[in-house]
Amino acid sequence: MRKRPTLPTLNAKEDMESGFTWEVRANSRHYQKQKQKKSFLCFRWGRYSDNVVRSHKYSPLTFLPLTLFEQFQRAANLYFLLMMVLQCIPAISSIPWYITIIPLLTVLTVRGLKDLVTDMARRRSDSEINSRPCDVLISQSFSAKQWKDLCVGDVLRIHKDQVIPADVLLLCSSEPHSLCYVETADIDGETNLKYRQALNTTHDELTSQPSEEALRAFDGVVLCEEPNNRLYNFRGQLHWRGETFILDNEHVLLRGTVLRNTTFAYGLTIYAGADTKILRNCGKLRVKRTQLERVFNKVVIGIVLSVLLIALFLAIGCGVFSSQVIRQREVLSAVAVFGTPAYTGFLIYWGYIILLSPAMPIALYITFEVIHTIHSKFIGWDLEMYWQQADAPAQARNTSLSEELGQVGYLLSDKTGTLTQNRLLFRQCCIAGEIYGDASVIAEEVKPMDLSWNPFSCGGLYMSAPSLLERLRGQQCPISRQFFTALALCHTVMAQWKEDSPVYQATSPDEEALVGAARELGWVFLSRTRDFIVVSELGVSHQYQLLALVDFTSKRRCMSVLVREPDGGIKLYCKGADTVILERLQKDCPNQERTERALELFAEACLRTLCVAVRSVPEALWEQWSKTLTQAAAMATSERDIVLEKLYDEMERELLLLGVTAIEDRLQEGVPETIALLKQAGIKVWVLTGDKKETAVNIGYSCRLLDPETRLLDWQELRQILQSPDPQVSFAKAGCTELWAENKTISRAKTSVVLTGSELAEFDQRPEWGSSFMSLAEQCQSVLCCRVTPSQKAEIVTLVRKYTSSITMSIGDGANDVNMIKTAHVGVGLAGVEGGQAVQNADFAVSQFRFLQRLLLVHGRWSYSRISLFLCYFLFKTCGFALVHIWFAFFNGFSTQSLYETWFIALYTVLYSASPIMCIAIFEQDVSAESSLKSPELFKCGLKPKLSIHVKLVLHLLYAVYMSLVLFFIPFGVFYNTAYDFQTMAVTVSMAATFTVTIEILMLTKYWTKFNIAAVIVSVIMFFICTRITHSSRLFEKSPVDYYFIGASDNAFANPVVWLTAFLTTWTAFLPSFTVHALNVILSVHDKHKVHSSSSQPVELRSRFRRGTSLRRSSYAISQGAGPGRLINSATSIRRKELSQDQKVTTSNTITDIKL
Amino acid sequence: MASSYKDEDGHISVKKPENTAFKQQRLPAWQPVLTAGTVLPAFFIIGLIFIPIGIGLYVTSNNIKEFEIDYTGLDPSSPCFNCSQNFSWNSTKPCTCSIPFYLEQPYESNVFMYYGLSNFYQNHRRYVKSRDDSQLNGNEESLRKPSKECEPYARHDNRPIAPCGAIANSMFNDTLELFYSDPNGTKTQIPLTATGIAWWTDKHVKFRNPGGNNDNLTAAFQGTTKPINWRRPAYELDSDPENNGFINEDFIVWMRTAALPTFRKLYRIIQRRNTMVPTLPRGNYTLEVVYNYPVRSFDGRKRMIFSTISWMGGKNPFLGIAYITVGSVCFLLGVILLFIHHKYDNRNNNPDISSN
Repeated sequence: MRKRPTLPTLNAKEDMESGFTWEVRANSRHYQKQKQKKSFLCFRWGRYSDNVVRSHKYSPLTFLPLTLFEQFQRAANLYFLLMMVLQCIPAISSIPWYITIIPLLTVLTVRGLKDLVTDMARRRSDSEINSRPCDVLISQSFSAKQWKDLCVGDVLRIHKDQVIPADVLLLCSSEPHSLCYVETADIDGETNLKYRQALNTTHDELTSQPSEEALRAFDGVVLCEEPNNRLYNFRGQLHWRGETFILDNEHVLLRGTVLRNTTFAYGLTIYAGADTKILRNCGKLRVKRTQLERVFNKVVIGIVLSVLLIALFLAIGCGVFSSQVIRQREVLSAVAVFGTPAYTGFLIYWGYIILLSPAMPIALYITFEVIHTIHSKFIGWDLEMYWQQADAPAQARNTSLSEELGQVGYLLSDKTGTLTQNRLLFRQCCIAGEIYGDASVIAEEVKPMDLSWNPFSCGGLYMSAPSLLERLRGQQCPISRQFFTALALCHTVMAQWKEDSPVYQATSPDEEALVGAARELGWVFLSRTRDFIVVSELGVSHQYQLLALVDFTSKRRCMSVLVREPDGGIKLYCKGADTVILERLQKDCPNQERTERALELFAEACLRTLCVAVRSVPEALWEQWSKTLTQAAAMATSERDIVLEKLYDEMERELLLLGVTAIEDRLQEGVPETIALLKQAGIKVWVLTGDKKETAVNIGYSCRLLDPETRLLDWQELRQILQSPDPQVSFAKAGCTELWAENKTISRAKTSVVLTGSELAEFDQRPEWGSSFMSLAEQCQSVLCCRVTPSQKAEIVTLVRKYTSSITMSIGDGANDVNMIKTAHVGVGLAGVEGGQAVQNADFAVSQFRFLQRLLLVHGRWSYSRISLFLCYFLFKTCGFALVHIWFAFFNGFSTQSLYETWFIALYTVLYSASPIMCIAIFEQDVSAESSLKSPELFKCGLKPKLSIHVKLVLHLLYAVYMSLVLFFIPFGVFYNTAYDFQTMAVTVSMAATFTVTIEILMLTKYWTKFNIAAVIVSVIMFFICTRITHSSRLFEKSPVDYYFIGASDNAFANPVVWLTAFLTTWTAFLPSFTVHALNVILSVHDKHKVHSSSSQPVELRSRFRRGTSLRRSSYAISQGAGPGRLINSATSIRRKELSQDQKVTTSNTITDIKL
Repeated sequence: MASSYKDEDGHISVKKPENTAFKQQRLPAWQPVLTAGTVLPAFFIIGLIFIPIGIGLYVTSNNIKEFEIDYTGLDPSSPCFNCSQNFSWNSTKPCTCSIPFYLEQPYESNVFMYYGLSNFYQNHRRYVKSRDDSQLNGNEESLRKPSKECEPYARHDNRPIAPCGAIANSMFNDTLELFYSDPNGTKTQIPLTATGIAWWTDKHVKFRNPGGNNDNLTAAFQGTTKPINWRRPAYELDSDPENNGFINEDFIVWMRTAALPTFRKLYRIIQRRNTMVPTLPRGNYTLEVVYNYPVRSFDGRKRMIFSTISWMGGKNPFLGIAYITVGSVCFLLGVILLFIHHKYDNRNNNPDISSN
């Protein structure tokens, strides 16, 4: 090994100052391996992660202890375990042990198996990722390795279309200038290509010799920041051969991106595995529990605590009883007193805990899980959410969140791929005031034009304008010819030749659409060199000399090319936002008015528009301009920018308006209708996108999220409001801030906030803004967040979660949405084009955005109402039945005597009362699916119910207490001082309890399927059959101890008093519930009638949306910021600067043919 | 799973969900819509059903004749005062007392004679559990080795107790005899039937003597000892072999524990002999009590009850009253709801009609 330069150590101090503490030495596996992260049991050491993804939890050895540990973290399971242990102690056991252990074991096994299966799936996907191939430079040559073998400091070779395995510093590539193209769809959701370029130094040094040797000898040291989650930032230095080079984001290829259009790229691994930016962005996997479950758990804890408290009182009662009363009773005292009354009380305490434990039975959790699973199945079975094209049904990946869907208050949606198809279509244009094409026709239904005369045509134009073709081919209209020349020239697209036709590679899909449209109509962009653009115009090739290219920036909002035409004249072609172009037009530009009207039309149809203009530049002006430009390029950065801006401004003047292009950003099917419906249902829809502000706003309009009259509140205005001394009060008073007052008088709801990522970052510094922002946002129609990173998306979700009590739902389709999907209460993944990352991490997967309406309004609503019915009823029936023992305690000396036969206790929750409520929880439909979609207002009940679920549960508990009182005291009155024995009373009370819960379910069920009817009948019959069986003489002879109720039911059922008592008890217990039902019916008879009667009308959702008069004019949008214009331009302005800086670039390198 | 097939458009549909009514949640269903018109009458109907039932029950219950004597003897003037005072389980000499009483109405049909105990916690868990059903079912092994539940009444003097346990040990052992005093002064004993007072299942299934149909009960109980408080061993409870040992009906009745601390148990039946003569004519009677059972220590009461029975069993005014009360409440609620409905309807109907 060559002797290392001493540079790193020399610079150590400086490094510390600059914060670059992450050191990577190229080609030194030994050194890096030592520092690799290792772990043994719970000890970890080392600094650098290896490149292995581990998302699984269990190994064969740890499965059993871990799963048991996890399961017993659930308070309920622990509680049941305690109950079971208690029941095994003979001194206190008041019901047999098998009543709890069998259900508990079932629960543990089912849960454990479920966890195991999901973990196996995770393990499989991990190993699939870990064993992806990559080429690593190991001792002189590249050898095929797997991703998991990679470690920091390795030099890699990445092939075309390979996924990059780690965060890599680009050293060089097979392309000129060591350019390379990456697709970042999995990171930011943008499908267009981005370019990365290696440092000139490494490019020159490493490509000059045979690459492997040179790479082998590469011994640079990278010093950079510690691993972080900032996707668009990278700071570092490369120390090599005694020199220091600054590294930034452009030199780095991130894990998860795909190499495109580049045969090979060589890179040095900087961050591996868990240190990579994408994994840092992933967010923690958190176990999601539904709000209802949390409320319910609270109630359960409440019940358990009250049971403990009641047991305590009863135990005290027992202590008193045994000290005062039992002692006098010779027989009783002999059997009932062990030691002191206190000790007796202590035993009785546990005995009562056991006896009252059926109030909160384990069956509840089993049933709850089963119901959740069935609801999830229903989602998967729904044909209306099945997408034929991809053969993809909806999928509930997390089976325990279904009722949460019925309470969603905030929908946070990704844009690209979720709302839009990410397909841009050239739909209309206006040339010289003449509009061609008709955007009101759906793209697929446009009659295709006959383009057979054009050898380069390969389809993809959804515009029908034969008159335009005539004009173009008939050479009648020079303006239209110039319009298309402009489209073919003014762009940054690269052409790649495949089988005699050019394939366009664009960094912006808009440009691709424009150039493609020009190609279809005969102006074919053929190739580009540094200095020339070749365009075939209606079959005739022309070569244009490229004099200058002024690229898009978000500030300038236009781009121009300066070309020398084949005939020698100099022309400036310019395209850009209407506001920019229109103010630069020459005076009395013809057709301006008509074009502006066309712009309005296009804007109404939500098309993205760009104005195209031309200027003939006199030779003298060009010479002077280019001279100034050359001078400017040599200036210092800050000064130069101002001068350049002025220069560009000088050139882009006196334009002649050619026309307007109108591009449709195809929405997913049914998006506007869905959003409108969700808004009606009271759900706030926010859009979070990595895309540009203009695009996001445009999509906001076209998908009906924003109304034309919506007032957009941008960051400046928002900040004013937030900075006002007391924003809350000022909103309330509606007068404090002038701005807000003005809004409010117009229309409060018609305001939307538009933010960008960098502005959002200010929230980090001003945490106190969070709550006021949310209270403002709550009154807004919508919020659009643009240019946000994946972790920012998650932060927004967290913000909403933190400051509202609403349920949040995130929907997205790409890896960039994973974080937000994980953070939201409910995450939905679109099983679309962009990989499977989102779906993998989502709770629900659907194929189309429009399926959300059914998922939320139908399945969510049903699930919520079913599960709240289920929980309330279940607690009612179990508590009502178990609490009877409290009252009975006062009449049996607090002795934990059960009022029921043990078999009844065991079978009551399982057989006699379980199936009807299961049927309700599965089949109940208060409103049909059609009506739910027809009246989305119904969904609001889930958001703001009249009675919160807390109150409902508590009311049901009170009702249960009442029921238990009635269940005990009416039979008590009947049987007091009579010859009826205990067993007859037990049968009577059991019968009354069964009847009461059955009649209650008769009242609750509104949707009687055959299963409901069967379930009710079967449970009642089961009660009689099972009672007779357990009281039969045959079983008694088998085991007299377990079946000692022999003959009790035979005698009881033959006794009219028993029946009369049971009926009276049942009706009295049911009376309050019936009264409330009746009161509800009387008070709400009219509302209900409306819903039911409206259900017959057909649902018309497909009506195509048309916007009314628009207040806005511009719908200018283009999906990308600064394109690779700089690269194309590198021969002119910017390259010169680099030349002056970096003299090592061999000037001989004239291969500027960057045709890809 | 759906099989793989291609649809009209040529798409492969492997995962297409099945179009069944269940999976698409389109099961045919009956959706009863509750209206005021169906709910309100229910209150009145239930009320109208319950009130007559209640009245019927109340009348029936009132027609049942019942006569009760408390013979605990707490009052010094009471004939049983002496017996109640000096008393213990193991006193050898039986204490008798006789209580005269006058029956104002004749009892026509069969008369049931009960003994009633108050403040006796026969439903205390430890007490209820203190028995061995196997032993009582005639299981030989349990006879020799009573279950642990019987402790501390499982063994005595190193011999197993039969029947074991606290319930058996505390069996009611007063003897009640009834004498009719003719107006002319002669005292005739009224025959009391001691059989037919237990449930058939108890007598024939649940309780069995050890040794099966062995006539010699004494031999069957060989090696066991009587419960501590008993005067006689189990096999000497009655002379009738069909009513002796574990299948003695007094014993069986006692072993069927009561639900509440105040209870009655059927003691004897006075059969009607002659259709012309009432079972118990009006007149003077004497109740002769062999006072064995101590209740004073726990403030208990002992009663003797005569009662005729109807289809609903013994006297039970509670049920009738409860039915009448609930029925009336129901009716009242119906009226209140009707009133609310009427008011609400008037307030809401007008805009509703105009909107239609």
